[in-house]
Amino acid sequence: MILYDYILSPDAYKVRLLAALVGVKLELRAVDVHPGREHQSEPLRALNPAGSIPILIDGDLILTESAAMLVYLARRAAAEWLGGDDAVDAARVQQWLAFSRRLTEHLGGARATEMLLEPGDLPAMQRASTIDLRELEAALSERRILGQSHLAADRPTIADIACFPYVALAPDGGVSLDPYPSIRLWMRAIRMLPGFIEMPGIHRLHDLKPEPVSPAMPETV
Amino acid sequence: MPVEMLRDWIPVALSADLPAATVLPAHTPSGILALWRSASGKLTALADRCPHRGMRLSYGFVRGEALSCIYHGWSYGQTGQCLRIPAHPELAPPGAIKAASYAVEERNGVIWIAFEPPEAPPPSLEGFQPVRSITVNMDAGAITPNGTVRTQLAGVDVLLIVAGIGDRETIAHVMVDAAASATDRIAVSNAVEGWRRTCEQLGLKELAS
Amino acid sequence: MTVRHQPMIDEWYPVALASQLPPGGRATQLMGTPVLVVADDPIRVVTDDGRDLPVTLRYGHVWTSLGQPAKQLFDIPEADQPGRRLIEVGVVRVRCSPLRAVENFLDIAHFPFVHTDILGAEPHTEVGKYDVEIREKEDEVWATKVQFYQPQAAKSATGGITTDYMYRVPAPTSSVLYKTCPARPGEWDVITLFVQPLQEDLCDVWPWMALFDDETATTDLIHFQQMIFLQDRSILENQIPRLLPLDPGREIPTRADLTSVAYRRWLKRHQFTYGAQLVAQ
Repeated sequence: MILYDYILSPDAYKVRLLAALVGVKLELRAVDVHPGREHQSEPLRALNPAGSIPILIDGDLILTESAAMLVYLARRAAAEWLGGDDAVDAARVQQWLAFSRRLTEHLGGARATEMLLEPGDLPAMQRASTIDLRELEAALSERRILGQSHLAADRPTIADIACFPYVALAPDGGVSLDPYPSIRLWMRAIRMLPGFIEMPGIHRLHDLKPEPVSPAMPETV
Repeated sequence: MPVEMLRDWIPVALSADLPAATVLPAHTPSGILALWRSASGKLTALADRCPHRGMRLSYGFVRGEALSCIYHGWSYGQTGQCLRIPAHPELAPPGAIKAASYAVEERNGVIWIAFEPPEAPPPSLEGFQPVRSITVNMDAGAITPNGTVRTQLAGVDVLLIVAGIGDRETIAHVMVDAAASATDRIAVSNAVEGWRRTCEQLGLKELAS
Repeated sequence: MTVRHQPMIDEWYPVALASQLPPGGRATQLMGTPVLVVADDPIRVVTDDGRDLPVTLRYGHVWTSLGQPAKQLFDIPEADQPGRRLIEVGVVRVRCSPLRAVENFLDIAHFPFVHTDILGAEPHTEVGKYDVEIREKEDEVWATKVQFYQPQAAKSATGGITTDYMYRVPAPTSSVLYKTCPARPGEWDVITLFVQPLQEDLCDVWPWMALFDDETATTDLIHFQQMIFLQDRSILENQIPRLLPLDPGREIPTRADLTSVAYRRWLKRHQFTYGAQLVAQ
């Protein structure tokens, strides 16, 4: 599978993250989105007329929506990440996959404007982000009352992976996560998953590693 | 801030929101503190600023009984004393490297901090259990003059413990009867969203008038 | 702007990438003053009241000054060395003092915690002794004989190596880093941080590189540097205060911070204080 990738794209990171968690090897093709705007070049438009990143290619299949890529990876490699089969569970996963588009638009828009100087109405995107984060916080608070740590099942699913990156990077767009204790714990649960990988702006959970016991010896050549 | 307020307990977070070996930014009327729980469960509130380079300690990480700064890994114990500087592993950090620490108490599932040690323990909330904390974009004084609100949400009796944490920013800890069922707690958790919207709409109207 | 900042007003600053200048130009600001980078031939930089500012095109960027620079833009001789690839990384905005952005660039002790498993990793956290001086003739801050263990020192590196560094501050908001060149032992790779001060607590950062590396794709080189800088950004936006404190009591340095100590002293000496906090608050 080939992923047209950008290291700073949270949507591309979703796909890399799930691939790492389920053990799928991706062939990464780095696209010079910023500053080169290569994603809007003709060769990439030929693959994805919308000119967005990421693009996932597997044989004849070309996917340009990250939610579809998550479904595809999970179906291929680890169906337990799709969540339950009954009507409620399946709909709940779809609800969060669709919700993640709002996060891309609002939190992602604020981040692109604040950090990479893309045009956009920053205050409006930040206000919309607050509504999204409050909805997510309320949902996660309800899950916690039920003894659950994840959005759509009693285990992590693609719903969590679809929502995690833009939420974790909210501060990049000038949106604080301080008011959301349940989101904080949910992000921590995702970051603690075996095989979890980071992207710039999401730091390593150093607490998972013990303090080095003996002082390090100076390294010399 | 007046002296009597320095000696007041401020409700900053729910116990359940701070598991062992984690840290969170605790907002107070006088700024943010790094509130952390050690691996063995001990609570500490430190100034949210590493004395080395000013990085917020609430972005740090807890290992064992110490909080470390994410920037250079300098670690601090319960008194705020710097314990370790990874760039100089064999150096015993001088006593002057210290983050200010503050009184912290946990009672009935709520964590309280105070800038000067108060004479009395924080208020007892016997008979209640916490549901969740929310932040309201409104002045605390416009919600309640005395730090508490008693109301009914989704038909359930609710006690809100309220503290102003900034300009038009208030934290509210939602409490219900200790015997309330999970169904009731979920109903309250959802209904408090509507309570917040109502508060904020009233606040907006006041701003406009 | 107050006279207090005159020494920094008279310095050169990057305001655009020459190759990426849109036809409509780039509307930006410099030390609180709105300026427009005009895509004419030659490129011009003008203020709102129609004043033409001095312009220098160098290292891929458009440089200008609100004042009257006493010197030409600092020289990076390696930029003209045959065989080097010149890499334009683009712009990233950061809510911090431009001086804090430079100071972070001069720091190695944060590598294991902020650039984990790339530029550093526990337990290799120790910072050994190195040399720092303010070179009077050039009037620049230099740190030499800096060494640090790096799990992945550059895009072209596989496995860990002890990497040598030299740091150079030739202007208040620009820094040049020389580091071990994995592809060509004996040469130094050049990585720079050019910072455009928008306001005292807001800056646009323009990393740029001159590397010996015939293997790695340009996009990979850009992304490696963007990854590193974006890891720093979340630190820079959460330092308190936003301004760089020049009061010695406000922050506590150790031996690992000698470059920063010299940088702060040099800033103070020249009254380069736009973005600095002079008295502890």
